[in-house]
Amino acid sequence: MLMKAPARWGVRARITGMRGPRAHGLLFVLPYLPFLLVFGILPMFYALYLAVTTDGGGMAGLGNFTRTFRDYRFVPAFEHILLYTGVWLASLIVLVVGLALLLHGRASRVTSTFRFLFYIPGALAGASAVLVWLFMLDPSVSPGSLLLRASGAHLFVESIAPARLPFVFAMIAFWTGAGGWIVVLYGALNTIPQDLEEAARIDGAGPVTIALRLKLPLIRKWVAYMAILSVATGTQLFIEPQLVNEASLGLVPDTWSSNQLAYQLAFRYGDFNGAAAVSVDLIAIGLVAAVLIVKRTGLFRTED
Amino acid sequence: MRLLRRRSVLVSLVATGMVAIAACGGGSPKTSPSQSSNALTVWVDSVRLPAAQAYAKEHPTMHVNIVTFDGDGNGATTLQTKIQLWNRTGNGWPDVIFSEQANDPVWMAQKPFEFAAPVKGLVPDNLLSQWPAPSTAQCTINGTQYCVQDNLAQVVLWVNKKLMTQFGYSVPTTWQQWAALGAKVATEHPGYIVGNVGDSFSHWIYLWGNQCPLEQLQGDKLLINSTDAHCTRVAQLLDPMVQNGSVPPLSVFTPDFARKYGGAKDKVLLMPGPSWYAQALFDQTLHIPAGQITAAAPLQWENETPVTTGQVGGGPWIISKHSKNLKGAADFVTYATTVFNPTGKDARAGYPAYGPLADAWLKGLGSNPYFAADPAPALKAAAGQVWTGWNLVSYPDQPVWSNTVVTKLVAGKSLSSLLQPLGDGLAQAAQASGYTVVRQ
Repeated sequence: MLMKAPARWGVRARITGMRGPRAHGLLFVLPYLPFLLVFGILPMFYALYLAVTTDGGGMAGLGNFTRTFRDYRFVPAFEHILLYTGVWLASLIVLVVGLALLLHGRASRVTSTFRFLFYIPGALAGASAVLVWLFMLDPSVSPGSLLLRASGAHLFVESIAPARLPFVFAMIAFWTGAGGWIVVLYGALNTIPQDLEEAARIDGAGPVTIALRLKLPLIRKWVAYMAILSVATGTQLFIEPQLVNEASLGLVPDTWSSNQLAYQLAFRYGDFNGAAAVSVDLIAIGLVAAVLIVKRTGLFRTED
Repeated sequence: MRLLRRRSVLVSLVATGMVAIAACGGGSPKTSPSQSSNALTVWVDSVRLPAAQAYAKEHPTMHVNIVTFDGDGNGATTLQTKIQLWNRTGNGWPDVIFSEQANDPVWMAQKPFEFAAPVKGLVPDNLLSQWPAPSTAQCTINGTQYCVQDNLAQVVLWVNKKLMTQFGYSVPTTWQQWAALGAKVATEHPGYIVGNVGDSFSHWIYLWGNQCPLEQLQGDKLLINSTDAHCTRVAQLLDPMVQNGSVPPLSVFTPDFARKYGGAKDKVLLMPGPSWYAQALFDQTLHIPAGQITAAAPLQWENETPVTTGQVGGGPWIISKHSKNLKGAADFVTYATTVFNPTGKDARAGYPAYGPLADAWLKGLGSNPYFAADPAPALKAAAGQVWTGWNLVSYPDQPVWSNTVVTKLVAGKSLSSLLQPLGDGLAQAAQASGYTVVRQ
């Protein structure tokens, strides 16, 4: 098209094309911008500032980082959340993508029922989900007590034994978050043109081949998007271990996750600078993971 | 960095026109001179609520604003969070706080919190002198008294008289007799228990009472010796009992415990525990019927004297040094600790710390139909026996005990093998809070 049109037109088209949508876009984004600045960007800079300064306001360099790294709770907390995020992310990607692909292959009546069923646990979000799970994990009242007993837990304290915790939290997060993602990925699958699928079928591809070789590559970006958001929420785990800590009367440490450690540093020890350093570590993990995923999947590449 | 800060402030001002950047300033909290006023804000737990309400009723001219919060271990974190924020903003402090955590005044009196006001001069001296010496000692931090205890939480041996008579057992007086009875119960009446070791405060019952040096201030150092003979001998005594089921590693406040040993099952034969167990645990949580429970003197280690016991709780009242109504705050605390003493069903749940009030309270206890026999003599004797070699510290030790010991006991490890990790964990927590720790 560019080749046919005179160069002058091409330039003009590009200019208007930039101005119009961009101005409109700004209008839509504007109401959100102040909140992003005040509650998103500004605290981040404030955290960065706190992380490299001392309590008195002097420069600390990397002092806060090395000091918090040497804290005896630092390494266990990060081990916990990395194991947790790993377990959760793996189960999320494999099961959500798998279930979405399965759903998409079914007749629509069955599909809508299942889509609804998958979504239901997700309607119970955040703290309330944890409260429900506290009962689910107590073998004396849980509807799934048979499974708990089979796994060797006869008492609540055994259900939340330290070695099980990353898996328990991953399970809670999966059940509360997976439904929503299944619906999102199902929507993504619906954008795949019907004729592509038909062409593949004519070429002799079975349902498995279509799912893995055709649909999966086409929804890759949605999966990447899910992975980025999940790494961030996963590494910043707070409310689940915090509530389990209180419900278990302290059996689970109050610095189980790194976010909790930051909270404790700030409010138990009054060490806002150390807390900021731990928070910056978390931002760094989230950013690095996001960059890696974006690079590997080409999330922002526009020509595909 | 200063530049960056100024820029970020500017950006926000331009973007929103809001001035909400007070948090950026790291100045010290403003303190205003105390002046009498008619308003009083008090923070209490649910158990202390009736005392606060009674004060408000009897002082209609005083505007008493009562805030209830979770006074337990979680409450300590709540308080620390709040006080940090009040200190940063320079206002909002309540005038009086009650905490269930006996160690809270320790951090409240020190940096960075610096919340507590010295009570001398606020509460009259002739009243202050009638708190038992160990109680006053627990409220004294670096030589200054910063709180008054609401109640004493001395550990006694709680006895189910009905079951003991039915089984034909006599009440043990030493830990050794108690352990022997545990072994006997395990074979003769399996399922019945003579204690438990799964609470976040079980170390205060078994280790504090038996003089295990886990928190001993020596000058400016803190001794944490979890492998001292006083600790290991208790662990060796308890290990077989945990194994044979007569002392389960469960918390008394879990549904599992109530289901297995409480209510209709009624399987608690004996239980070393604090003075407040009678109402809070046996009556209201486990629903053990009236006419069964009574108290016996704290257990003795063989024939060693003096007999020492542990303590679980003993919550203090703390007056804020930022209060604009110090006189009113002191009057409130004096009322709650030395006057408030309803009788009958509304009686205080805990043993009053203030001496004269304790005597009146014990009289009421003797006529309480819940008990199978008057628990007053045992409670009164134990009140002066709390071991003073266990000092209160600024960090909570319960989480360390829970994480390093209770979870492992549940998993089948022996207490003896967990004493070393317990000491290590406590030492780490102490060092993180700025203590210089000695391990031997």
